[in-house]
Amino acid sequence: MPAIEVERQILPILGSPNQGARFYNPELPSSEPFVPGHRTCAGCGPSIQYRMTSKASGDNTILVGPTGCMYVANSSYLCTPYNVPWAHTQIGSAGSFTAGVAAAYEAMIRKGKWKGAFPNIICEAGDGSASDIGLASISGALYRNHDCLIICYDNEQYANTGIQASSRTPYGGMTTFSPPGPLVPEAKKLFPKDLARMMAAGHPHCYVATASVGYPIDLMNKVRKGLNHKGAAYLMVYTPCQKGFVYETPRSIDLGRLVVECGLYPIWEWNPEKRAYDYSFRPQSMRPVSEYLKLQGRFGHLHAEHIATLQKFANEQWRMMGVQLPEALIQAADAKNLVNMAAAAEAEAVAQTL
Amino acid sequence: MSTKGTHIPDHLKIPFAGITPAPSQEKGQDLFPTGNWRSIRPVYRDKLPPCNNACGTNEKIQGYLDLVKRGKYLDAYALIKEDMPFPSVTGRVCYHPCEQACNRGKYDEAISIRAVERFLGDLGQALTHDVVKAGAPNGKKVAVVGSGPAGHSAAYQLARLGYKVTILEKSPKAGGLNRGGIPDWVLPAHVLDREIERLVELGITIKTNVEVGKDVTWDDLKKNYDACVLAVGLTEPNSVRAEGENKDGVLYGLPFLRDIGMGTSKAKLGARVAVIGGGNTAIDCAREALRQGAAEVTMITVEGNSKEMPASPEDLHDMLEEGVELLHGRAVTAVLGNGKVEALQLHPARFSGAINASPITVDRDVQPERFAVDNVIIAVGQRASLKWLPDEFKNERGTIKIDRFGRLGDTNFFAAGDIVQLGSGQPLMVVNAVGDGKRVAFNLDKVLRGEPLQPRSIPIDVIVDLNRMNMTYFPHFPRVQQTLLPPASRRRSQDEVIQAFSEEQAVEEAARCFSCGTCNACDNCYLVCPEPCIARPERSNGLYKILVDYCKGCRVCIEECPTGCLEGVPELDFDTGVVRMDTAFAISPGLHGRQAEELMNLGDRPAKNI
Amino acid sequence: MATITEQKKRTVRINGCVASAQAAKYADVDVIAAYPIRPYTATMMALAQMVANGELDAEYIVADSEHSQLSIAHGAASAGARVFTGSSGVGVQFAYELYSPISGSRMPVQMMIADRTLDPPGDFGSEHTDALSTRDMGWLMGWACDAQEAFDNHLMGYRIGEDRRVLLPQMVCQDGFFVSHITSDVELPDSGQVKEFLPPYKHPYPLDPRRPVSHGPQIMPEQGPPLQLERARAMEESMAVIEQVHEEFARIFGRRYDPWVEEFMTDGAEVVFFMQGGHAVTARFAIQHMRERGLKVGLVRLRTIRPYPTDRVKDVLSKFKVVGVIETNMGLGSVSSGGVLYAEVCAALYESQQRPLVFSFMAGMGGEAIVLKEFYWMTEKMTDAQKRGKIEKRTHWVGFEE
Repeated sequence: MPAIEVERQILPILGSPNQGARFYNPELPSSEPFVPGHRTCAGCGPSIQYRMTSKASGDNTILVGPTGCMYVANSSYLCTPYNVPWAHTQIGSAGSFTAGVAAAYEAMIRKGKWKGAFPNIICEAGDGSASDIGLASISGALYRNHDCLIICYDNEQYANTGIQASSRTPYGGMTTFSPPGPLVPEAKKLFPKDLARMMAAGHPHCYVATASVGYPIDLMNKVRKGLNHKGAAYLMVYTPCQKGFVYETPRSIDLGRLVVECGLYPIWEWNPEKRAYDYSFRPQSMRPVSEYLKLQGRFGHLHAEHIATLQKFANEQWRMMGVQLPEALIQAADAKNLVNMAAAAEAEAVAQTL
Repeated sequence: MSTKGTHIPDHLKIPFAGITPAPSQEKGQDLFPTGNWRSIRPVYRDKLPPCNNACGTNEKIQGYLDLVKRGKYLDAYALIKEDMPFPSVTGRVCYHPCEQACNRGKYDEAISIRAVERFLGDLGQALTHDVVKAGAPNGKKVAVVGSGPAGHSAAYQLARLGYKVTILEKSPKAGGLNRGGIPDWVLPAHVLDREIERLVELGITIKTNVEVGKDVTWDDLKKNYDACVLAVGLTEPNSVRAEGENKDGVLYGLPFLRDIGMGTSKAKLGARVAVIGGGNTAIDCAREALRQGAAEVTMITVEGNSKEMPASPEDLHDMLEEGVELLHGRAVTAVLGNGKVEALQLHPARFSGAINASPITVDRDVQPERFAVDNVIIAVGQRASLKWLPDEFKNERGTIKIDRFGRLGDTNFFAAGDIVQLGSGQPLMVVNAVGDGKRVAFNLDKVLRGEPLQPRSIPIDVIVDLNRMNMTYFPHFPRVQQTLLPPASRRRSQDEVIQAFSEEQAVEEAARCFSCGTCNACDNCYLVCPEPCIARPERSNGLYKILVDYCKGCRVCIEECPTGCLEGVPELDFDTGVVRMDTAFAISPGLHGRQAEELMNLGDRPAKNI
Repeated sequence: MATITEQKKRTVRINGCVASAQAAKYADVDVIAAYPIRPYTATMMALAQMVANGELDAEYIVADSEHSQLSIAHGAASAGARVFTGSSGVGVQFAYELYSPISGSRMPVQMMIADRTLDPPGDFGSEHTDALSTRDMGWLMGWACDAQEAFDNHLMGYRIGEDRRVLLPQMVCQDGFFVSHITSDVELPDSGQVKEFLPPYKHPYPLDPRRPVSHGPQIMPEQGPPLQLERARAMEESMAVIEQVHEEFARIFGRRYDPWVEEFMTDGAEVVFFMQGGHAVTARFAIQHMRERGLKVGLVRLRTIRPYPTDRVKDVLSKFKVVGVIETNMGLGSVSSGGVLYAEVCAALYESQQRPLVFSFMAGMGGEAIVLKEFYWMTEKMTDAQKRGKIEKRTHWVGFEE
């Protein structure tokens, strides 16, 4: 029997919510594949992303959930919120389970065993999965170019297991595996992996982009671009976690904007056709990193020199984006200029007793 | 066979291999309603935007600006017409207290509301048939004395309520101060004429050259009409009480403008003209004087500087551009000349107390100035002419005595406009008169229908604090400016000085409106909810609903609401019917068994439409 | 574009790896997850060529590891595709995390295992420990003793595993090298026979956007026991299906296998060898040799180790006086301090009224053949024990003792 041509959906890109001075979101699709009644924390950043992603993708979607908050918190206890098919897989199987689903549909449609347009297959992997244990499986899926979208919802830690450091946890980020103490006043010495760039550089035939819940329409459009791209696509999305970051719950979206405005989470796209980065995204303002850090308890232990170190890191990100650095941010990268902030020498480090 | 003889008890029944059927989009995952996690619940509560609040007739400004943003100009026009009969007039003449109150003014620049209103008013004028219709006739007759802003407004609202309205106007043309107090280069005559036409289209009868106290008496009104609105205005100009004020060449502000407006002016101005007064009328007179041929015009004010002048700063600015000179801190103590004014005697003067609300102290010890003029126009305010009014209804301010509803005692007579607003603390403005006329019309209607008149009891929350809104959604954008005719040419012409907005400009300017405290269906709350537990059958203000069974009270929606219409209310006792859960798990036993049933019957259900 | 031609019945001379590949082709698998490790790799090489030639229309995926292979298989089976994968030795163990999830989620993935000794160090020779170490994970498991049986077991495996009453994954095992790389005659059927025997795969609740379900949501502890009980029930109730399918296979293909144990020359035997896998072929030769010299010895070959046919093993082995369990696997620190088959045989025999003596023989380890001399040695040990009425030690390391 002759092979059947696999039909693939193309989803339209949404218009910008900023129409001149007016703020007005474009018409959103009405379908709601992610429904309420799940155990995620109030204000959960990954949940916000999950809902936006599902909405952008629509009903012809299959979701893959490697172990993490978006598995455990969403589906406990036998109370899943997914109105589209979803499967749990092992934390390290993010890319491979997804590849299996994609391959299955290629074969089943081609061989006439399933009729319809190729479903949108989306893997939602936390950064623990995407950056550590599942890195190889995701790289494999991207390299093999399965028609799927792999999303790393980046809350910069292993959250579901009670907040532990991952290779995405920022310098200075307190977690239960990287607590501050007299020997480690900055709590975390290591800088995170540049995960999204690894994916772009290593798999240039794929659509790769970063996004943030602070820019919902941009996020949804990138989801659609990834799904429309014939082949593998990868998104790394900043999704703040109230439990791990320790901030006031209503600020989830706000943090998503601030992290970009401080240069700590550059928003860019990798264009697989042009084989080039698109750094044209510009946030509304540029701020010193302290404006982002001060809202979060997980950075409460930082001293001036640590903040200056982070500012230096942020300044490098701005340079990468081709943004002219204002004098204020250059100054802020020197601890001497960070007035009213405790210096390590002056502050008394209080050791935690277990 | 270890499993032989085993059986799973009902309360532990679960679906095959733990595979759960999908929850529905309509009901959500109702095994686990997370609503009782919260201690604060979001509620949609539209606050009163400061523009609506400041407007003398409480136009729904935020509402019509929002409609303009959406390109619904006709709906926007209709919305204005609920409270304001002549937007094409106020769109030109109003001193826009709305713009003063506009929250955007604290952020970058206030919205150019007046210009948008003018755009809509002119659009409305171009309609063959107006959107407003007369109400079903109720058989009652009402007389409205005076066809100025208050009377026009009252007549308009009464016609919409179904009354047979007759306007009695003493001047040869209808319009009151709109006609006679506002120059053509602010409000062209044809624009006002069209508005008067609209009144006639509503079935209102207008009788000009009919003066109360002369052609018709108090008793006539009482006998021939079921009720009456007295909107007679302040027709008599105030005097400066200077010696020689009765010489030729001495003109008074409003009569000067009125005669020009009615087309009956015989004034011929000499080269040098002085205008006495610091208010808006004085400014209009000064600018009109230029257009009537004066070579040099000087405005003389008691106020010590421009800031103290009650006049609108923009109009003052435009006047100065046209070359009018300004002299502060002086009062006219005598008019000099031989039968005709040749000069003014000026003494230093100031207000003894509050600016414009206290007697003037003149310093007569100093040598006076002699200021040569060919004409002087005295524009220091107006007072009422109420000889026809029964004394019981006169008050000590020289205006009509009314209760707070605008009613004269127990009668069916009501009064509205400048005639009652003088000395009330409210500035005398067209829009305030319109509001007064509207409210009086509604009160009159209540009285005639036998309903009690009650003061408003609901507290109003006017939103003026930008911290109650989310400014990150509003980048700075400058105000769209209307163009003005160049000063050099316009000072000699009756052409309209301020130009209209184009459609693009109107939309661009309306787009800057924050929609303070009022939902404008931007969908942001709907978009950012993590559950999601905000539903809406369609995208419109008032149709957003929090699904209280699921809302965890995270308040991201409240934080990200640009307009601040979402608020949090504490909720610890769940009066919203939220299902209480005694465990952290599915809300009642057997629900997983239900899932198992559902899963087994999966094949029988119709396939989902994808 | 693949043009699948109808296959005609014929006999070919192929090895076990290629036989497995042929079985996957006849089964018209949809997704193949490959990753190289000796000795099973040859199966995947053969399949790669079949797919490239257009003889089989399948998605051939070169995975990035064995863990990924099994995850791909899990995902593809969940989506509703018939899946084929495989591994050997430490590769089998690299994928360990997936075995319980796959069987617990009731996905009938099929895994070809050409077994191989576990590290350390690298030893390409056959031992059964790799697959056996996963025996408690809920997969159907059994060893073929030759290439024909391997081919047949693969087809039966799909039929059993995909049956609605079963829905369990299968490890179809064969000895590395001895079966996987030695050629023998294999009868390949008509495509029509396979079509009659093996219906298309249809999971009742696949990941299908038209009938959305969630696979594997997080549960609370009290929901654990019912799920575990159902998994146990599935394994137990598969036994009836296994028997039924072997019956059908015999009818359609003309080759009859006992689903559980195969007896060879056990009539009148007093001592028997008990084993699984390819060494049975040499064992048969040895037993024939010994019988001709008057030794009353026979062979009982275990064909299915999971689900373990406890009662059948008890009934069969109770007929004999001594049972010598040949272990080609390692059970370090186990009950017998040797291999793992011993303990299960003893447990099966525990309630028997006539329990034979049981030995554990560590033989054929590391991929070494068990030679005739060694069969004689073991038989002597068993007959000695029979005379004395007791065993002197449970486990013997054949070739390392007097």
